[in-house]
This record gives sequence, structure tokens and C-alpha cells, in this order.
Amino acid sequence: MKIAFRLLLLAVLGGLCFWLWTVFFPNPEKVVLGKLSSLAATASVGAGEGAISRAAKVSNLIGYFSTDAVISYDVPGLGAHTLSGRDEIREAAAGGFASLASLKVQFQDATARVGADKLTADVSCTAQVSPGDSKDFGIQELRLQFKKIDGDWLIIRAETVKTLQ
Amino acid sequence: MQDANLNSAKPGWLQIVLIGRRPKATLVRIMVLTAVCVVTFKFVLLPIRVEGISMEPTYHDRRVNCVNRLAYLRSEPQRGDVVAIRFSDPGKFSAPRAMLMKRILGLPGESVSFHGGHAYINGQLLDEPYLKNPCDWEHDPIQCGPDEYYVVGDNRSMPFDLHTQGLAGRDRIVGKVLL
Repeated sequence: MKIAFRLLLLAVLGGLCFWLWTVFFPNPEKVVLGKLSSLAATASVGAGEGAISRAAKVSNLIGYFSTDAVISYDVPGLGAHTLSGRDEIREAAAGGFASLASLKVQFQDATARVGADKLTADVSCTAQVSPGDSKDFGIQELRLQFKKIDGDWLIIRAETVKTLQ
Repeated sequence: MQDANLNSAKPGWLQIVLIGRRPKATLVRIMVLTAVCVVTFKFVLLPIRVEGISMEPTYHDRRVNCVNRLAYLRSEPQRGDVVAIRFSDPGKFSAPRAMLMKRILGLPGESVSFHGGHAYINGQLLDEPYLKNPCDWEHDPIQCGPDEYYVVGDNRSMPFDLHTQGLAGRDRIVGKVLL
């Protein structure tokens, strides 16, 4: 009984050490997916948020993109557009935040594949966007490319994917 | 003395209601039931809630249903099947959280066209008794690839371009809608 208890304790300690290791030294996939969750929170705005808060969010939002980032989207109702560089992204985000009462962004079913060089990552996810107080939402499959620049994972390319061809 | 022992060993009514006469057996039952539920509702039957009017009148908005992930283990999807189609791939051991619910019209290698609101498969009129809403779609033939299915909703009262429809790869079909 004593041996069983000691073995159990050892297993628990081992598990705890492993968990602590993953907390302090997360693998790149986890870091990139964490970045994506953080991006969703930054891209969401509540109805009670004022102009200053929204402007700060726009400023934070462009921090997720590299200076030469490209966003290419083709969404029914909006058509096909491409945004190049942080300035164009900032302008589009500011316009969007100003025109919407509130916006909730969620990224679901996200998977990250880090390249062999450990400096680039491809992320596939599904964005669910709920504008205003409406219960309706838009859903869009996305592909994002991240690159590790100065120790930080930044989006260098984002594009919409046509689920049905 | 014996009567007193028997009385003290007899579980109270509250204990019987909460954890049964044999707590160990109840615990095992709970663990087995939990494991069965987790496996069933994560890997076999995915609970879903319909959002939107794309499948009206067959499936109404906010209706709850299930997707059978094992439906196409031994057979391929058939015309008329209502299937769930995933967006991004959540990985091998995860169930997708967001899916499209559509009906299969075109099978691999077939062409699907619309004339006067009616669907034609390889030029032959398709009987679709489940359609109730008026439709005026006109569209040239859409060719399905060797591993592609043409899927569309049952509510075709909206313009063709505003309805989410098209070719879905076989790997995107998660399973068959149960009810």
C-alpha cells in the first residue's frame, strides 16, 4: 500500500512538473494559438466601449500584424478586397469599429502548423463574427500565416478560404 | 444487540436517493456512464443546433439535432442525404464546433444545373419532394470532381448567389444528420 501510494505521488509530481514545463516553456503551436485567442479578444468591442477605448483597440490590433502584412478577403456581400500594410489595416479597423455598435469575434477549430525553421506558422481556423446585438452571425474559414519577428509571432498574411468551391 | 447492528448498517433514505444502497457500485456506474457519454457525444453523435434558415422548411432555426460521424464509415454519402460539412479542420481527435448543414444533390463525377428552379443531374430532372419554397434559380452545369459532392440547402427562395452552396470535398463531410 505504501509503495502504491509513493508511486501515485511520484506520478502526480511528474504530471505537475510536466504541466509547469509547458506553462513556462510552451511549444510554438500553443504560443501561436494563444496569440489568436488574444487577437479575437482585441478585435471584439462591447456596446459600452467609447471612442477612446475603440481607438486603443485599433492600435493594439495592428500590433498583431507585421508592417508588410497582407489581408486578402472575399466575403459574400463585401466582395474581394486586399489590404496591404499596417496603415490600410488600421484604416479598415477604425472604420469598422466606428460603424458597429458592438462586435464579437471568435476563432474556432484552430490548428497551427509550425514550419521546420520554427520561425513561421500556418494557422487554419473558422472565424465567427457577431455584429451588434443581433443573434445572427457570420462565419468564415480563414488561413493565417505567422512569422516570428523580433521574438514575437506576427501575422504576415491572412486570407479567407472558400469552404464550398 | 444484533438488531442494533442491523439498524446501524442500514443506509438512510437520503443516502439511498443520492448514492444508492451500494455507493461503490453507484460510483462505477457513474464513471461508466460518463465515459460512454463522452465517447458517444464527442466521437459518434455530435450534438448540433441549427442556426439560420438555409435548410427551411426541413430544419428550422434553433432546432437541436445530432450528426452521426460513423454514417459514412462503410458507405459513401448518397444523394438526398443531409450532411454536416466542416469549415477548418480541427484535427483528428477533435470535433468541429462550426459546421454547415446541407443536402447532397450531386455525386462525384456528376453535373448539377438549375433551370426554372428545378435541379437537373446530368441533364435529368431531379425529384425533390422536400422543397416547399418557390425557387427560380437558373444556373449552368456545375461539374463535381472525382472526390467532390454538390451540396445545397432546402430553402432556395433566395437568389442563387446569396445561398451558400457549392462543391464540398469528401474530407469535409463530417457525417450524416440523424433526424
